Amino acid sequence: MNSIEVEDLTKYYGDFCAVDHIDFDVESGEFFGFLGPNGAGKTTTIRMMTGLSTPSSGTVSIMGFDISRDPLDAKEHFGVVPEASNIYEDLTAWENLNFAGELYGISRSERRRRAAELLEAFDLSEFKDKKVKGFSKGMRRKVTLSMAMIHSPDILFLDEPTSGLDLQSSIKLKEILRDLNRRGTTIFLTTHILEEANTLCDRVGIIVRGRLAAVDAPEKLKRTIQASQSVEVSFDPAVPGLAFDLEDLPAVTSAEKKGDKWRLWTQDPSLVAASLFEYGNSRGLKIVSINTLGPSLEDAFLAIVNDQAKGDGHQ
Amino acid sequence: MTALRRPSRVRREIFRAWAITKKDARIYYLRPGTMMFGLMFPLFLFISFAVGRDLPPQALIPGLVAITIFFSASSVGPVAVPTERRMKTHERMITAPISPLSILLGEIAGGAVYGAVMTAIPLIIGMIWYGITIDHPIGLLASVALISFGFSAMGIMFSAIPTENPGDVMMILNFVRLPLLFVSGIFIPIEEMGRYGIITLVSPLTYANDMIQYSVGGSSAFGPEIDALGIAAFTLLFLWVGVTLHERSRKTA
Repeated sequence: MNSIEVEDLTKYYGDFCAVDHIDFDVESGEFFGFLGPNGAGKTTTIRMMTGLSTPSSGTVSIMGFDISRDPLDAKEHFGVVPEASNIYEDLTAWENLNFAGELYGISRSERRRRAAELLEAFDLSEFKDKKVKGFSKGMRRKVTLSMAMIHSPDILFLDEPTSGLDLQSSIKLKEILRDLNRRGTTIFLTTHILEEANTLCDRVGIIVRGRLAAVDAPEKLKRTIQASQSVEVSFDPAVPGLAFDLEDLPAVTSAEKKGDKWRLWTQDPSLVAASLFEYGNSRGLKIVSINTLGPSLEDAFLAIVNDQAKGDGHQ
Repeated sequence: MTALRRPSRVRREIFRAWAITKKDARIYYLRPGTMMFGLMFPLFLFISFAVGRDLPPQALIPGLVAITIFFSASSVGPVAVPTERRMKTHERMITAPISPLSILLGEIAGGAVYGAVMTAIPLIIGMIWYGITIDHPIGLLASVALISFGFSAMGIMFSAIPTENPGDVMMILNFVRLPLLFVSGIFIPIEEMGRYGIITLVSPLTYANDMIQYSVGGSSAFGPEIDALGIAAFTLLFLWVGVTLHERSRKTA
């Protein structure tokens, strides 16, 4: 069964088409990532899906309820975590959760139980009576997520949830999302962090210039661009400006410096690896590490975005 | 099926709208902008008018009550709505299972309760300090409830102006509120306005002032029934325009 069904969804702002007739489904219990470059239409899409914005045409069905025709029934089934933490700074964490619970019609005893449970899960119990204006960004994010989960929704919409979080908070948040998903919550995540989508999502949709360019599992998307295999090497001592030499090695199509490593794209990784040993010996460079890499989701994403851009350019 | 579901849905909407009212009371009642325009502004405006004039308290206090309720009830929405737009908390309410009308009714009730509470201040001062008496106490309570709701709806209507700055709404609102003071029979009695008295009919404050004059002192230019009808008509107008404008800005978002 599908939790979310999007059909022919379109949004115009004047003459500008922000979202261009997109279709996709999200199955119940699925972790779905929605990716795209800045301005591609990710936020516009999620705003239409959650009833914040009215589509110019097309439909969004949430658990079988049309968000435009049966908005109240549809909204009972989801929680939203927007990019900016939309919490009441003059209320305490407890009051924020209590208010969110009241908006979803949860009884007082159930609100108290859920609020205490969520604050405990997010390590916020000791701050429950403090106004959230004094909270760190990570704590605010946790309060926002708790408020979205107060009614145990079937679907959770998250718009760039780890944006601005430190590494520790980001890891903790991802653990919580994985756990929620394991317990059956359908998650719709927009992100520009491809590694996040790669490690969390069952499937991803890639939107470019308002059009849905691809929807598939991350591994399947990667397989579509097998040509971009690469070898990553690190030398000691690291010599800046090596790229010109490395690009001349047999079968290397391009080279790019990545921190203290070099990444060489090729269609023949074994030949490049052999050449790199020879290259190091001839220059007195010790190879610290060498790895062959398949295409990443980032490669797939860039290939899809570029293909789409070229396609648009030809039109 | 529909007949069975309707009462339940209405109850749910009332419960959720009341949650918004309580939230507004906690956050916005003591905000400087609300206190400034809701309490200090009408008080000093009235003092500047009353000082040096030889008017009996029984005539002065109803005017002060009308001004207080007018400014206080209409000040909460213009502070709350733009602030919540800026903080994106308004979006939280829109994505919750509550209708846009109930969100606005919750906000309106927030302003109405504030207006009613603020009105008690000049009334208590009038009764204790000046010894005024109230001819129709039940009528006064009903008037305060109706008028507060109507003026709060006016504030919510103006808060549809698409801005995230409460000051922008207050500035435009005051362009309307201040002239209304002078065409509503508070500072200049309607009978002294001659043929220009007809202008007073297009001001909701005229009916509010007249209703309070009747409840406190027993005198009325139009009678309480006409006053109540006038206020109810303006309230419906404010509500309709407010809902339409808020909904339009949501659709174009």
